[in-house]
Amino acid sequence: MSAPEHASHKHGPGRYVAVWAALLVFTALTVGLGRIHLAGGWSIVIAMVIATVKASLVVLFFMHMKEHGGASRLVLATTLVFVALLMGLVLLDNATRFPLANPPTEATLPLMPPGPDATLPAAVPARAAH
Amino acid sequence: MSLSPVSIPPPSAEPAPLFNERNYLVAERGWRSWLTTLDHKRIGMIYLVLTLVAFLLGGIYAMVIRVELLTPGPTIIEAVTYNKAFTLHGVIMILLFMIPAIPGIFGNFFIPLMIGARDVAFPRLNLLSVYLYLAGMLIAIFGMIHGGADTGWTFYTPYSTTTITKVWPILLGGFILGMGSIVTGLNFIVTIHTLRAPGITWMKMPLFIWSAYATSVIQVLATPVLGITLLLVAVENVFGFGVFDPARGGDPVLFQHLFWFYSHPAVYIMILPAMGVISEVIQAFSRKNVFGYRAVALSSLGIAFVGFFTWGHHLFTSGQSAVDAGVFGVLTMFVGIFTAIKVFNWTATLYRGSISFQTPFAYVVAFLFFLVFGGMTGIALATVALDVHWQDTYFVVAHFHFIMVGGTITGFLGAIHYWWPKMTGKMYSEKWGLIAATFIFLGFNFTFVPQFLLGNAGMPRRYYSYPERFWPLNVASTAGASVLALGFVIILVYLLLSLKYGKPAGPNPWGSRGYEWQTLSPPPVENFESQPTYPRPPHDYDDANPAKEFH
Ligand SMILES: [Cu+2]
Repeated sequence: MSAPEHASHKHGPGRYVAVWAALLVFTALTVGLGRIHLAGGWSIVIAMVIATVKASLVVLFFMHMKEHGGASRLVLATTLVFVALLMGLVLLDNATRFPLANPPTEATLPLMPPGPDATLPAAVPARAAH
Repeated sequence: MSLSPVSIPPPSAEPAPLFNERNYLVAERGWRSWLTTLDHKRIGMIYLVLTLVAFLLGGIYAMVIRVELLTPGPTIIEAVTYNKAFTLHGVIMILLFMIPAIPGIFGNFFIPLMIGARDVAFPRLNLLSVYLYLAGMLIAIFGMIHGGADTGWTFYTPYSTTTITKVWPILLGGFILGMGSIVTGLNFIVTIHTLRAPGITWMKMPLFIWSAYATSVIQVLATPVLGITLLLVAVENVFGFGVFDPARGGDPVLFQHLFWFYSHPAVYIMILPAMGVISEVIQAFSRKNVFGYRAVALSSLGIAFVGFFTWGHHLFTSGQSAVDAGVFGVLTMFVGIFTAIKVFNWTATLYRGSISFQTPFAYVVAFLFFLVFGGMTGIALATVALDVHWQDTYFVVAHFHFIMVGGTITGFLGAIHYWWPKMTGKMYSEKWGLIAATFIFLGFNFTFVPQFLLGNAGMPRRYYSYPERFWPLNVASTAGASVLALGFVIILVYLLLSLKYGKPAGPNPWGSRGYEWQTLSPPPVENFESQPTYPRPPHDYDDANPAKEFH
């Protein structure tokens, strides 16, 4: 497992500042998206895309995956396979379940406040049972 | 909670050349030298003391459970105390004993010795793992004294997020223990990749190293999922988050998915190191190199890999879809293939071997019995239709005790009896060793075979009382547990006595050709007096020339 020489640590802080700025922009975008409600579950899709882009930026630049080859990339790829495995078989469960055995969605429970920014106080009654 | 190595008094000054006086145990003195040690051998010994304390605690809870179930109604404790007892029994035995024991003790001690290295790759991380273990243990014990959870070790939602007992300290303890487990796994992976001595290629690694490697990969890949899941339950319990609450769009079955994504592979974190031990002992005591080295080595990775595809077999009756249940049922059976590869190869190794039936080998035999019996009942349980009948009965309890506990404990006991002379430089009483092994084997069967019958007859697990028709089998199970406990006490007594009165072992009392026996007993701090060479594969007994023996 020879550590690949990432000799080019020459690039200054500029690159990191740029990535950091990009991350801040994406965060702002996510917050903004949370305030408007897109129909048909598009909010969650876009939020997940943004989160994926942000994670990729962190992995590529802050964690130096861009400069590393071989074993490090293999490790990353392996972990991604296992994440896909976890998500895949869990989603297969929900997708093939008897519909009413799934958690309520906007369609099945119109009374629930939709959207990711439904704040806690509104939902507290469920908790107050005990 | 003292860390002082109470069980390891400095060896008395004996003139016998069979005992290395310049060893790692006495290289430095005082408890501070133990608390700050970076020596992988000392860290292994610290793990030995700590995990034995945990085992004792978990064993006490086990006996409390068995005594309570001696009669159909209330026997010695109240129902809620009973619920806490089986929860803590599970938490302690799994998180504090079975997962860390063999890697923590024997992995730390022997991986560097087996690959001709001076230490593990990150000695300081290694020490950190000890402190993470200790911290997790103390927090979990704190949680047991102040309240104690009653959820079962599985912490299923929604009960765990709404119970009035205090679960968060135990969840936090589990989280910290998980970090320790990841650190150990990472350390071993890097050690095995980078620190093998010249001559030890991948296909010349001792089989214990292969299984330790596969175990470490699981620890690194799966444990983070458990950590996050435990934290989610803790915050849901304390702050009322909605991840697992259907009233707020959550899903309690999601918890079971996440939990078992770790906890099924965790079975292989427990059993793979034991399989590694068995591979070593079976070669040394049949004086034959293993049949099908490649198959045995790579099947460890195979088990680690397929072990990740099976978690849903815990959810057959939990509301999981029928499609997913079928998929998981079939995938689960693949584990049987890789396990069978090992079992057949071990058996073929024994064939025409020169077997010496000493204590470590007695545990090999017990291991094979428990593994095959437990494994076959596991295949039966993976059959969805059968599982509907057996789910949450004592059949499941008996199954996982056979495979996990029977397998891990006999692997652990085989390891400690095989390597004790190397670790301490002393021999224990062989006669008492065999007597105790008999007690363990019979006691274990008398404890859990009745539980198979109880479960098949419909007795649910985790119940405080039962109908009178289940009485006789429960008495049999409790009697068996007592014999089992007696076996452990005998082992503890003669091992402790051997430290003071045992004969000096000499560098290689078994005539083993495993790599780790090429040094003095106990080993010097530097592991080897001079760097050994590795011209031959480990456990090469083909050439009977005694000059080829180590030392
Ligand atoms: Cu499982």
